[in-house]
Amino acid sequence: MKLKRLSMHNFMPYKGDAVLEFPQDESRNTLIVFGDNMRGKTSLLNAIRWTFYGYAYGRHLRKISLHLLLNREAVNEGARKMETRIEFEANGSQYDLRRVATMKNLVAKPERPEDIQVDIHMKKDGAAIPGNEIDDEINQFAPEQVSRFFLFDGELLQEYEELLIEGSEHGKEIKKEIEKVLGVPALTNGGLHIKTILKQAQNQQSTEASKIKGLEATAERHQRWLTKRESFENDLVKLRSLLDDARNSRLALDDELEKVEKIYSQKSKLDSCRSRCREIEAEIKQKTSERQQLVGQVWRDLLEPRLIAKQESLFQEQQRLMDLNRERNRIQLRTEQARQYLTNQVCPTCGQSLEAGKREAKEMELEQLRLQLLGLDVDDSRLTDITVQIKALSKVIGHGVGETLSVVDKDLARLEHDLTKIENQTEELEKELIGSDTDAIMKMRSRRDVVFKEEARLNLEVEDRKNKIDEADREIRILSQQMQPDDSHRNARGTQMVGICEKLHASFLRGIERLSEASLQTVESHASKAFKAMSTQTAYQGLRINENYGLTILDQNGHEVLLRSAGAEQIVALSLIAGLSHAGRPAGPVVMDTPFGRLDTKHRKNILGYLPNSASQLILFVHDGEIRGSDDLNVLAHRIGGQYEIKEISPTHSVLERR
Amino acid sequence: MSMYTSEDLNKFSLSERVHAKLKRLQEEEHFPEMRDAYRFGIALGLSRGIVPPEIGSPKSAGIYSISQIDPDQSIALAINLLMDTENLPPYRWAERLAEWGIEELSRESEKGQIDFSKLLAEAKENAKDI
Repeated sequence: MKLKRLSMHNFMPYKGDAVLEFPQDESRNTLIVFGDNMRGKTSLLNAIRWTFYGYAYGRHLRKISLHLLLNREAVNEGARKMETRIEFEANGSQYDLRRVATMKNLVAKPERPEDIQVDIHMKKDGAAIPGNEIDDEINQFAPEQVSRFFLFDGELLQEYEELLIEGSEHGKEIKKEIEKVLGVPALTNGGLHIKTILKQAQNQQSTEASKIKGLEATAERHQRWLTKRESFENDLVKLRSLLDDARNSRLALDDELEKVEKIYSQKSKLDSCRSRCREIEAEIKQKTSERQQLVGQVWRDLLEPRLIAKQESLFQEQQRLMDLNRERNRIQLRTEQARQYLTNQVCPTCGQSLEAGKREAKEMELEQLRLQLLGLDVDDSRLTDITVQIKALSKVIGHGVGETLSVVDKDLARLEHDLTKIENQTEELEKELIGSDTDAIMKMRSRRDVVFKEEARLNLEVEDRKNKIDEADREIRILSQQMQPDDSHRNARGTQMVGICEKLHASFLRGIERLSEASLQTVESHASKAFKAMSTQTAYQGLRINENYGLTILDQNGHEVLLRSAGAEQIVALSLIAGLSHAGRPAGPVVMDTPFGRLDTKHRKNILGYLPNSASQLILFVHDGEIRGSDDLNVLAHRIGGQYEIKEISPTHSVLERR
Repeated sequence: MSMYTSEDLNKFSLSERVHAKLKRLQEEEHFPEMRDAYRFGIALGLSRGIVPPEIGSPKSAGIYSISQIDPDQSIALAINLLMDTENLPPYRWAERLAEWGIEELSRESEKGQIDFSKLLAEAKENAKDI
């Protein structure tokens, strides 16, 4: 199969007409479409999916409602039709497949899928194919069950990594999907049909046994268990339906919440800003009151420098006056001694008599002392005043609050600055949140929690009913044996049917097991081949697959590699997809949306080198961060048959431009 | 030194013009009470070594008693120690200093919040020069 052209009209962000030409040269079979996030890469993948299978996927592989596929801007401008068209070649024939969605009469704006009429048209070598045969025709070369593996996006890759987590709920779902591709459901459905016939036979066996003497009581118990099992099975059907509803509504809420997550996070920020504002305002209030008290006392600090200087000068003067006082006392003492010496003619200190020659000298000394005493101007009252002033000053100085006020002022300035900053943030956030119903988001979150709990409860209920059904099966089997004590009873029609159906059912179970084993080996072989080609670690032997389609890497000695990087996980998942893609259909085009998110340069090169050889055409929808510069493109250069870029005209209008 | 006695003055006063400014200082919450601003005005004048003129006319009636403004006589002591009182009672000087200081504070308040830290730093500098 080879794609030739994809044409779109008013499909998702592609308002008006947009065309993607696929490369036709086998040696240059790679097409790259570059586009930033939210521009319409996944919409291109969805355009192909919708044309072939009539649905498009959103997040978590949930189908997007039909009316949301129409370009909103075009609808607002009066457009009533959306169309996608794929021209391709398969099995030697030329195909032209168109899917057209038209708004029904009287519908002004589509608000639900029922507002839109969808028509599909297919031409094979120019001849129209009847509508009811189109799906069969598509399934010959692009079976819907396999489509996930050749039309896949980065999200799918992450889902496949979940297979590596033993027992994960999501892993079980993916396992079912994989088994669909590998044909297991055909056998599973066969087994279920046989089980239905077995049940009828068990009823018949019960009726027959109730008419046989001695088996009435066993038949009655057998019948009771049949009734119980039916009731458990009915319960199980209802519970599964409720569980599906709960899961779908939880996923829908998750999607919605993811969309509004930014709003929620901004709302949380706004709340925290408002709360911080209140805290700061309270702190400011408290500091302002503290400041007011300090301001009432700070006048003393203004005086303090001059008063301290004054106090210093008073101390100096006090010291000087005290020194003078001491000097006066000393001179007065010496004067008194000199006077006594002269009067008594005897030294008052040593008691020696005054020698005649020394009297004159002593008299002169006395005169000098008298003169010194006269020269000393000691103001005793001044000294007293100074002492009083110093004492009074010591009571005034040292009670300052200036430093505390300065600290409080600094605190206040910092708080005012913080407050302004947070008020600005608050204002910005309030502007951002204008028109957002944040209360509704909070309600949505609590509703999601309720639904999640309900889902968990239903899961337990489902498990409980399954166990009860198993128990009923065991009891029915035992009672069935008891109802055939001898050959005559074994020949009864119901009993014979039960025997045949049980054997047949067991055969189907064995068949499923063998098919699964064979499929596992096929997938493992293809995946290993792809892995060895894409991995940078040449010593690895390949991959080993487990019963859940989880893959582990085998090192050079055949031992499992237990730790692997995010990049390695992505390559393992890509290998599994490559394996499944080959196991389920002949080689055809592979379309990948954002597949290289977490890969390093070397792995990207390996993958880009491998993929063009593994598919008839390789179509990559990537952003600039995934395929970087000339390095990555050089690996592919000789295989690139075309490059496009998605350009945004408006958030609801993108166009495709050739590079 | 002769200590001041309260007989010199019973009430502190201001000119009516400056009294209005004093009220505004309190209303604008620069000071918790008008008397705090009054005291601060006196201290500001003293810290700058101002020798203030007689307060302007018309004069408002006495605003505060001595015990309201200077209960521990710290202001009187500071005036006596830091100024040449020229036989004028210290509380008369206090009135004049308050008149001058409140005028100055009013000018400061026009710039926004009164920067007390700046005024205190200036007082330290002034103490070196005076």
